[in-house]
Amino acid sequence: MKIVGIAACTAGIAHTYIAKEKLIQAGIDRGHDIHIETQGLAGTQDGLTQQQIDEADVVIIAADIKVNGRDRFKNKKIVEVPTGLVVKSPNKLVEKLEEVKA
Amino acid sequence: MEKVKQIGFKKHLMTAISFFLPIIVASGFLLAIGNMMGGASIENFRDGFSFADTMTTMGGYGLGFLPMIVSTAIAYSIADKPGIAPGLIVGFVAHGIGTGFLGGVVGGYVAGYIVVLLMAIIKVPKWMDGLLPTLVLPFLSSFIAGMVMYYVVGTPIIWFTDLITAYLGNLNTSSLFLYGAIIGVLASIDYGGAINKVVFAFVFALFSEGIYEPITVLILVSMTTPFGLTMAYFIGKLIKKNIFNKQEIETLKTAFPMGICQITEGCFPIVLNDLVRNVIATGVGGAIGGGLSMLWGADSHIPASGMFAIPTMTRPWAFVAALLIGSLATAITILLLKKRVDPNAEVVAVEKEEEDVSWDDLKIS
Repeated sequence: MKIVGIAACTAGIAHTYIAKEKLIQAGIDRGHDIHIETQGLAGTQDGLTQQQIDEADVVIIAADIKVNGRDRFKNKKIVEVPTGLVVKSPNKLVEKLEEVKA
Repeated sequence: MEKVKQIGFKKHLMTAISFFLPIIVASGFLLAIGNMMGGASIENFRDGFSFADTMTTMGGYGLGFLPMIVSTAIAYSIADKPGIAPGLIVGFVAHGIGTGFLGGVVGGYVAGYIVVLLMAIIKVPKWMDGLLPTLVLPFLSSFIAGMVMYYVVGTPIIWFTDLITAYLGNLNTSSLFLYGAIIGVLASIDYGGAINKVVFAFVFALFSEGIYEPITVLILVSMTTPFGLTMAYFIGKLIKKNIFNKQEIETLKTAFPMGICQITEGCFPIVLNDLVRNVIATGVGGAIGGGLSMLWGADSHIPASGMFAIPTMTRPWAFVAALLIGSLATAITILLLKKRVDPNAEVVAVEKEEEDVSWDDLKIS
């Protein structure tokens, strides 16, 4: 399965990046192709390409704040969670994403 | 209710905080450095000014305009771009009628929700499609939100802030310690996460009313964890009880300097390795440090920036003493709670069973 997503937390220095790492790790462990864009204090990093978005089966938004560029995911299945949940249980979340897609 | 949940509440405040944190840091530093050099606010550019004056003035602008920034950000978060115009105008209203930061927060929600509401109820004929976002929406939303501020919520907010200001100004010693401890625990135990930010919004509202002690507690307890863990490392060396593995010691080297600047997040890798024990140690340090800081009246006149806030305090000794005692409490607690670790052993990643999470916060669209 192909996953794209955004991670963004309030301060934009820690949770954002931890959530990204955890999501990618959990995604790879379960054999998925995953790309996560971060919207932290340093602005947008590792921005998603249009191709990645087009090919994605599901979009995960792990954010405590409003994220930019949501309109890119029109007609996609979007799953939204707070960053805290990703930090706690990334693998369970990826399992959930598999359910959502199915 | 379903609709309200969909629009959200907390997320918008968090968005606003994420917008103004850099502004606070920038203006806080400018103000602190300017004040240290004896700067004063520039009243009239033509009369001449000193270099220090420029920094003090810029810092004052940044902090003084926070009601506008926060209300604009909240309205934007709720209603996207159409929220900006009413958000900004209502922020100025809040500033003008003297409701401060709290007024900005309320104004932002009012403006944002009104825009969403208007967009939902206004149906225009085809030929007006272009006029709706350019004329009707900005004018009507600003007008209605402004009226709500002037005639409905303005007075109660002022009354409420006056009440709290008076109440906190007259606390006796034991309640001072208690309040400090409560703020200290809440602000520290999630390491700069959501609880910390909510507490921040609250103590910042007080700060903008000229009550400096609560925000000082927040500054202080953001530092007790990195300081405490670092102390625990050195005390551990003395008493021959090392509790950090190799990787964690490396982490400390960056976590401590970050701690000096009031950034707790650097401790994350260590904390996450043993969440429960670390949270207990942080809470103990936060409670003691926060309580003492409040009790002794440490008062930072800038709302952030860690050690750099010390020169702005009228009682810097109180801050330093409370910080050291609080950090020491964290250090001792973590030393007691954690088991001895061989600092040279290679780190083996242990697969842990993840805890079950509730999916209530999960939203699928």
